[in-house]
Amino acid sequence: MPSGALLFQSVILGLLLGGLYALLAAGLTLYFGIMRVVMIAHSAFLILAAYLAWWSHTELGVDPLLSMVVTVPLFFAAGVLLQRLLLARLRPVTLTMMSVLLTFAIAVVIEGLLGYVFSGTQRRIQLGYGSASLELFGARIAVVKLIAFGLAAVALLSLYLVMKKTAFGWALRATIQHRDAARLVGIDTDRVAGFGFGLGLATAAIGGTALSLDTTIYPSLHWHWIGPLMAIIVVGGLGSVPGAAAAAMVLGLAQSLLQIELGTTWAQTVFYIALFLTLAVRPQGFFGGRLAQRF
Amino acid sequence: MTIRTTKRTRWATAVGATLALALGACGGDEPEQASTDDPIVVGISLPLTGDFSEPGKGVQRGYEAWAKITNDKGGLLGRQIELKVLDDQSNADRVVADYEQLIGSDQVDIVVGPFSTRLVVPAARVAEEYGMLFVEPAGAAAEVFQQGFKNLFYAAPAVASDHYNHLAEYLLALPAGQKPTTVAYAAMDDPFAQGTAYGLKAKLEAGGVRTVVDEVYPPNTTDFSSIAAKIATSKADMVVGGSQYQDGVNLIVALQQLNYQPKLAAFSTAPTSPEFAAAIGNKTEGILSPTGYTQDAPYESNKEFVEKYTAQFGSPPEEDEANAYTTGQVVAAAITAVGCAEQGDCQKKLVDWVRANKVETVVGPLSWDETGKPQGAHMIQQWVGGEIKIVLPADAKETDVVYPKPAW
Repeated sequence: MPSGALLFQSVILGLLLGGLYALLAAGLTLYFGIMRVVMIAHSAFLILAAYLAWWSHTELGVDPLLSMVVTVPLFFAAGVLLQRLLLARLRPVTLTMMSVLLTFAIAVVIEGLLGYVFSGTQRRIQLGYGSASLELFGARIAVVKLIAFGLAAVALLSLYLVMKKTAFGWALRATIQHRDAARLVGIDTDRVAGFGFGLGLATAAIGGTALSLDTTIYPSLHWHWIGPLMAIIVVGGLGSVPGAAAAAMVLGLAQSLLQIELGTTWAQTVFYIALFLTLAVRPQGFFGGRLAQRF
Repeated sequence: MTIRTTKRTRWATAVGATLALALGACGGDEPEQASTDDPIVVGISLPLTGDFSEPGKGVQRGYEAWAKITNDKGGLLGRQIELKVLDDQSNADRVVADYEQLIGSDQVDIVVGPFSTRLVVPAARVAEEYGMLFVEPAGAAAEVFQQGFKNLFYAAPAVASDHYNHLAEYLLALPAGQKPTTVAYAAMDDPFAQGTAYGLKAKLEAGGVRTVVDEVYPPNTTDFSSIAAKIATSKADMVVGGSQYQDGVNLIVALQQLNYQPKLAAFSTAPTSPEFAAAIGNKTEGILSPTGYTQDAPYESNKEFVEKYTAQFGSPPEEDEANAYTTGQVVAAAITAVGCAEQGDCQKKLVDWVRANKVETVVGPLSWDETGKPQGAHMIQQWVGGEIKIVLPADAKETDVVYPKPAW
């Protein structure tokens, strides 16, 4: 039986990890909601953003957080272009399947370019506050992990407010819920879908920066991330942003706690077991999201 | 070129007179026997491309430095050394073909080993078949010495599981009150990295030191916070990392984030890297690491090696280069002592000599057991006052071990 201190520490680490998963999964589920697109390249963009943060810190000497000033708009624009120029051309009948192939290709291209430019060497940002931590009831919270969690929380909250409180958000949700009806009431669904895609990719820019603060990055790391993220959005209910966030917190916490008994290798399986169980018992997901039935 | 023509002539004579005549004409009137102006040809297959190309090139530089330094002093037995290097593309099938070619058709006088366990084992099998002495600069894993090779010698101070021997001895000799009582181990799932940590674990457990955490992580692990949490909450007196480079750095940072302050922290490989201090934000105080080679080692031939190598290549040698150089030193010592360097009976004499003798090298005096396993242990270095210094064994130390270590 693990000690109370270890359990408490693991809960904290799990919540911090879950926050990051939540942000990343939110973007991924958004693409599916808007367009029925399975975006395999989401985590490749995540690693790309992490590399840009690392590069700007190492080469330009600026704090990695500042790199977001450039990467967030850049990724938003890239998302809009990606949707308008590539994904919108896929035939609606085979869109979901073809989007897997297309975004798989994009992921491989990004990985290849990262390897070409930065080599396969593992990189890590060296921050002055990299090993600093705060104490909370005997447990320790690393400052960098707290910053990453804060970024994720702020980004998710902003996403929520955009979706709920702005005209664009209403149009986006209308497009997600019923594309034809949205068009009938005068929403330019193509434009909205493009912006929605940009929004999803912008979360990858923030997530990548958060990730770069405290882990090692290497070009093929995105394969390590896409599996858990896909599992999270299915468990959360495809297309549901709050569902993805909730599933991310639960699974992040579960992974962290299972590591105590099972070790790092086996704890990763929690995502896939949750995926199997969801598909077997409740294919539409546990937190809303009616879209999965049509998948 | 001339040597190869001569050798080929000799080989051809055995095969057929016609061919021998044709080649003999090309070879001119050179003597059939190896004479004093014939170079000693040393055959090597190295991974110059593919997975191991980086260390492979390091090993090549080490061999080149050895040939140049030896030749500048007049060579061996009055003969110059000539290297014949083939590229095996990091491929185990290729390495077999390479050594077949070097020994069988190129008729080199001596062969030395390639890089990495994966390539050393098949290469050694070929050398064994031809009865050639096989000194090798890499291949520290246990399996190398379980193949029953009779001609193989590993030219480094110790195999992975013996790297920490000096530290184990030091710790077990401490008085009861000071001796660490609990240890946490975390090792990469890799025969070399894990071998170092588990070698120390076996010795400390035998000496009554309790293991409280024993974690093995896959090589692609990037998040060490949960492993660190286990180690930190165990409050072990000592932490041992069976690490390569990046995982060691990540684990140390994760432990520091949790404010874990052990009495002693030992990690393989990572702490001896030039980028290490910057990578962990200079919080290096007291970290220990075994090292197979350091430019500061006080052994006599090492000063010459560092100086001349630096002049030749522009930067000081690292461990791969030093291991290759050591291999050269072992072969040279045997050739000088036995007085011959050619295929045939001479090889058996060389093998017997290496087996029975101790050789002074850039990594200290080396001797071997009957499987070719070196009998030494690695030096232990420690970060003291922002610099990494040799602390064990006592006869090579630059400063004393700092124990318990200061906070990091």
